[in-house]
Amino acid sequence: MKKVRLLSLLSVTALVTTVLVTAPTVANAAPACDGKSPIQSCVGVTSDGAPYAMQVPANFNGTVALYSHGYRYNVDIPAAIPLIGGYKITNTPEPVPGGNAAVAQYFFSQGIAILGSGFARQGWNPDSAIKTNVELIDTFKKQFPKTTKVVAWGSSLGGVITQGLAEKYPQLVSAVAPMCMADNITPQLTMAGDFLWGVKVLFDPTIKGGSYSAGAAGVAESYADLGKVFTVMGKLQAALATGAWPDTASPTGKSLAAAGVPSRSALLLLGLMAGLPTQSAHFDSVSGPEGALKLTFPLALSPALAILENGTNAAALAVLATQDVEAQAGGAIFDNTKTDYSARIEGERVIYNAALSGNTVIDALLGALSAANPGAPRAVANPAAVAKMNALHTNTGKINVPTVLMVGLADPITPAGASQRLVDLYAEQYAAEKAAASKAYQSSRSYAAPTNKLLMLWNTPPASYTKFNEAGSPITSTPAAQGTNHCNFTSAQLVLVAKSMVQASNTGKLPSGGSFYTAIRKAGNLSIDKGIRAPWLKSYGNN
Amino acid sequence: MKAMNRRKLITASAVLAVVGLAATALPAQAAEVGVTSTQIKLGMTLPMTGTASLGYNKIPGAAKAYFDYLNANGGINGRKITLVVKDDRYVPTEAVAKTNELILKDKVMALMAPLGTANVKAVATSVNPARRGVPVLFINTGFSGFADVKKYPTTYTVLPSYIMEAKIMGEYIKENFAGKKIGLLYQDDDFGVDALAGFKTAGVNFAVKVPYASGSQNAAAAAGWITKFKAAEADVVILFGVSSATSAMLGVAAQLKYAPQWMLGSVGGDATTIKLTGVPAGVLYNAIGFSPVPATTDMKDEYVKFFSDIYAKALPGSAFDLNVLLGMNTAFMTAQALKAAGPNPTRKSLMAAIDSKGATFASSALVPAGYSKTSHVGLTGYWVGKYAPTGDLAPIGGTYVTYTTDSGSGPVVKSTYKRPPMPAKGLPN
Repeated sequence: MKKVRLLSLLSVTALVTTVLVTAPTVANAAPACDGKSPIQSCVGVTSDGAPYAMQVPANFNGTVALYSHGYRYNVDIPAAIPLIGGYKITNTPEPVPGGNAAVAQYFFSQGIAILGSGFARQGWNPDSAIKTNVELIDTFKKQFPKTTKVVAWGSSLGGVITQGLAEKYPQLVSAVAPMCMADNITPQLTMAGDFLWGVKVLFDPTIKGGSYSAGAAGVAESYADLGKVFTVMGKLQAALATGAWPDTASPTGKSLAAAGVPSRSALLLLGLMAGLPTQSAHFDSVSGPEGALKLTFPLALSPALAILENGTNAAALAVLATQDVEAQAGGAIFDNTKTDYSARIEGERVIYNAALSGNTVIDALLGALSAANPGAPRAVANPAAVAKMNALHTNTGKINVPTVLMVGLADPITPAGASQRLVDLYAEQYAAEKAAASKAYQSSRSYAAPTNKLLMLWNTPPASYTKFNEAGSPITSTPAAQGTNHCNFTSAQLVLVAKSMVQASNTGKLPSGGSFYTAIRKAGNLSIDKGIRAPWLKSYGNN
Repeated sequence: MKAMNRRKLITASAVLAVVGLAATALPAQAAEVGVTSTQIKLGMTLPMTGTASLGYNKIPGAAKAYFDYLNANGGINGRKITLVVKDDRYVPTEAVAKTNELILKDKVMALMAPLGTANVKAVATSVNPARRGVPVLFINTGFSGFADVKKYPTTYTVLPSYIMEAKIMGEYIKENFAGKKIGLLYQDDDFGVDALAGFKTAGVNFAVKVPYASGSQNAAAAAGWITKFKAAEADVVILFGVSSATSAMLGVAAQLKYAPQWMLGSVGGDATTIKLTGVPAGVLYNAIGFSPVPATTDMKDEYVKFFSDIYAKALPGSAFDLNVLLGMNTAFMTAQALKAAGPNPTRKSLMAAIDSKGATFASSALVPAGYSKTSHVGLTGYWVGKYAPTGDLAPIGGTYVTYTTDSGSGPVVKSTYKRPPMPAKGLPN
């Protein structure tokens, strides 16, 4: 039995891999299928040029799972750029998250087909991607007329696309699962812009951080920014204990340094005002090494290290997404002329007071970052570009079909607050549906309670996870802790989401009850506690 | 046949009577998190280890000593109280993690006496007890903001606010040190913000104000502080910080023979804690201090005597100090709240009980509490004392003169509050 299952898993892995390397070339033609069994693979290209892949088990039960992948850079990244150098634009189809064999195996074992494209355009693409998905569903149904149900899921930007599909075309999907879902474009790019702007005005004023030139020149400017941001982060890391400022610091930064403001406190404040989590892959803001730093490390150092790790991870996307959307909108889209950064950190300034070095330092930093300081010029957007950006697809948060959300509570790219927003909006929607049902009862004398359509799975970081070596230095070579990093899910968690989505599509109801709670526990590090509350992205104000 | 029926009737009556007795003696089945037919589970986070734990780490033992006494005397309607304690080391993010454990894993009914402004605020923001409906009883911080019922609807303060304390200090300065140069050492966070607001309301003009960032207090820093106070020629120096700041300051001042009139805030004024840091008690002599509860050496006070006796039996050899008295008093108030919450207490009925009856709960405090449906303000004042050569705080002139005020612009007045007598056996009525 075990041997059979292992073989089955291997064959699925091989199939998924095979499809991922097949490159279709003819747009809008009928899919080309290999006719194989037990898994038939089909490939093709949509009318807008998106290559896609379908995999259909021999025991196809009529349900297909449509997956939308996340943000892929829409420019090649030169090899010389640290961390992400060497990336080449790709539109390889992705019918399951990252080609995950366990997920594909689950679907096939249930007689469910899988489907996904690589989209026609990379970068910020919900408008075109939703259209691609609509066409893809139609193509699949024509190719496999037995199709009765479509479940849709996606990660990161793919979560936005999935939610958008369910909002605009609820008749096409019977259940959806946006995972580690990004927020709408304005709050996402405001988060990126706030952090980049802060790094620029304090640590290196030669960083553009936005307002990139058109065309290839703008791309080159973004490459230069990537190099500078990573360099600054490296210098901040090297000086974290001493609090020294990088030699590239702006005059404003240098005056803060002269006043005794530690650079780590400045970095932490930038992360907090942007809304970056203070738990990262390796820093929990709780643990300290044995000895003198046992208490000082979590109080004064770990939150800044977490921002350093999260900020470095987020910086590449911040730069490249800003350049991408500016290119789409035709000008600068980040504007902080009216942003009150003091209000942004009102709650956090107490919690992280020690790491921020006290109110006097906090007030000095906020003064330096205020609009009144000519040494920290605010970013001004191009109104026409902002109007164009605002015309891009945005999700309203309406829940039309059974929906499963899953996100890491310390995801630094797509903060958990984006999912929280949907939870909160759905609470209002559900209350309104209940009120409407009560009102209807007055005339019909028949009460039909609304069915819950939202399941929120929080991927929670462990209580503590920072490890230290014998010398007391933190270890950063271990895998990222659960609940941290971007879309950092295990196969078991992804399969649980898939199962929940499929069950909801079959029954019209989201799973609940004892056996479901057991399944959650077995998947590991997940919570459905309704008391958990992630802050909305900062640009929404206090929520 | 008739006889048979009568026998049956008698039997049935007897069964009913037994059932009735049982219903009276046994608590009904409860349907609230942390409450069973035999137990009420409460949770507490505070620093139990590390440099910030000195003194504070006696609070759980003190609370448990009272709860053990209560449990041995029938508990609350037959339910015994269990207190789960987690060490947060005074780190806000750790307080969040440990509070999550208390709520999600330990399934406590309510949180009790969490310590530290930053920690309580971090928990309020990240764990969100209000959204979960979890009561946060009698917090160990005097930050005035926590009394905001709209913002923290399930949180109940107990200590007088730092604003109240600063206002009362200001009144005392006005009455006793008019024309003198006043210096202030304060923690550079919300703790200090409250203090500054209170002193401003009281009209105190400082010759010098010295802030310190939380965690930066040590001997080297204290030497720098003293230089500033000396330069300003301060006659009176107020230490409105934590005990470790007081210890650093008084320790270095003794070495440098710097001896202004010291005035210690209640947070950093516990002699036992200061002594634990290695500073001799003598350096406290003649310093002015403030407390809402009686002197811990005042065995004529029925509350102090009662709590002291219980604590001595529970933890023989452990000194009975301010943290112990406050810990036991908090447990005592919690017990009264649970009793007032009815035979089957729920989180909601517990909070409703404090709202409606909290202001009348028996307490060792010599000042009134301000609980009502619209107020979660705890105690509202202090008495003023001086430290004896032993380091013990005693009322000036041997009599408690208490002052009461609010966290707003209200006046500071001498209190006429009559404290309720200790209930029989120190058990909730």
